[in-house]
Amino acid sequence: MVGGGAAGIGAAGAARQADPEAAVTVFTEYEDVAYSPCGIPYVHGREIPSFEALFLQSKEAYVTAGIDIRYETRVSSVDVSRREVQVEGQGTVPYDRLVLATGFDYADPGVPGADLAGLYYVKNIRRAMEWDTVLDTVKRAVVVEASPLGLEMVTALAHRGITVHLVDSHPWPLAELADPDIMRPVEESWAEMGITTHFNTRVEAFLGEGSVRAVRTTEGEIECDLVAVCTHKQPNTRLAAAAGLEVGSTGALVVDERMATSAAGVFAAGDCTELPHAVNRVPIACLTGSHAYAQGKVAGTNAAGGSRAYHAVYVPWGLVAGKWMVGGTSFGETLATALGIPFVMGVADGISRARYYPGVKKVRVKLLAEPAGHRLIGAQMVGGEGIKERADFLGVAVRTGITLEDLATMENVYSPPIGALNEPISVAAQNALSSLRR
Amino acid sequence: MRARFSRWLRVNSERYLLESAQTEMARRYLGRSGPAGERGLVPSLWRHLFVPVYHRLPPRLRQSAIEAMPGSHRRHWQTPPPRSHTPGI
Repeated sequence: MVGGGAAGIGAAGAARQADPEAAVTVFTEYEDVAYSPCGIPYVHGREIPSFEALFLQSKEAYVTAGIDIRYETRVSSVDVSRREVQVEGQGTVPYDRLVLATGFDYADPGVPGADLAGLYYVKNIRRAMEWDTVLDTVKRAVVVEASPLGLEMVTALAHRGITVHLVDSHPWPLAELADPDIMRPVEESWAEMGITTHFNTRVEAFLGEGSVRAVRTTEGEIECDLVAVCTHKQPNTRLAAAAGLEVGSTGALVVDERMATSAAGVFAAGDCTELPHAVNRVPIACLTGSHAYAQGKVAGTNAAGGSRAYHAVYVPWGLVAGKWMVGGTSFGETLATALGIPFVMGVADGISRARYYPGVKKVRVKLLAEPAGHRLIGAQMVGGEGIKERADFLGVAVRTGITLEDLATMENVYSPPIGALNEPISVAAQNALSSLRR
Repeated sequence: MRARFSRWLRVNSERYLLESAQTEMARRYLGRSGPAGERGLVPSLWRHLFVPVYHRLPPRLRQSAIEAMPGSHRRHWQTPPPRSHTPGI
């Protein structure tokens, strides 16, 4: 396995499970494997007390499991015809089957000053530990791009007591994924938290001598001590592309349901691969950690001689931003509009518990369905709780062809501390059908 | 060459189709203007030629064009089994 993230480690474990006699070696450029990089913003925000909590397994656990992990070891090239990899400092290493799990890079901001100190790219846990100490001295920070990580970092830095500015070229946060009405409460909560947002604003340069002191934007300069660069993820396929493996329109590796690449005996998993969206077959890349891990399991099993298949994806997603949870599955209104996918829509504003029960939170649900058969094609939500569970449920609903009629007449749990009399999903479906009858 | 073309087409079509949808949605829901996009002849051609033509294409033709592009979607992927409408027991 080349890569020690969720996909690489998932593949290693699955390969050993499929064939306990298999000699499994993982090469990683980093000092650690088996930790949750997604948890880093929450340690910075002090919701999680220490980075140690993010580690899932000890290094000894992998030794015991018979997985040979070569830390801080870089694979410099792959020869697929000779079935060999070149490893820096170790020479040529042969393989029977190879799994590429080389992950992602952040998109280059493409502006002057990107080499200044004080620009933080959240990725590696050891660097995050160092940056966490730096954060103790930071008074003003700029977060570049309202990507999923950007949203988490904005909230985390504000929790830390740092004055935060968010700069994004789109009209609202997470605009490539979420709808503006869904993100509105997040924006309002950021304002309450003292966060300054700059939408429809492009970064022109990072300014400073040696270390960043300001960000120049199309709307003026913003002084800062630190910049969290949260540009979108791009598949890291340098090694694979140099080896001649087929790369798709997303820039990620082309794979099939077995996670097999275009080269015999070479599998790939995680952010470096592209998968078809199950509704319209458009390939997409750089999904979530849970996708990467599941793909790794498939790739590892097949690499070790087993048989396992992955599937086209519906991409349920969710995250916490400001004082809200946002989430969804498959298409939102913005993406469906962009792609020209016809849809009918229903929206409902509901609550998460009985209206009188302490801690009750608002929940907004928006459903999109095919105009003809009313099959669900996507959903978006914002609320105080219960968003992840609804996103997972609606992901399965889209996958199994559930219709608005099914959802409008669904049975739901009613219990004052955990669920309201009316389930917002059902009410959104009823509203969609009512508007169709008008 | 084909891979490079499909990458170029994907990057630009995604960018300008999203920009157009975001402009419409920002106006409708927020009363804001569209994204701070680049200016010039090439962006203008994408905005004023490609985007309207894409939306006027019949959906089947559009889907065929997408499926003709190289990528993972052209390899074998299982589809979920059809729903059963019979009772569980």
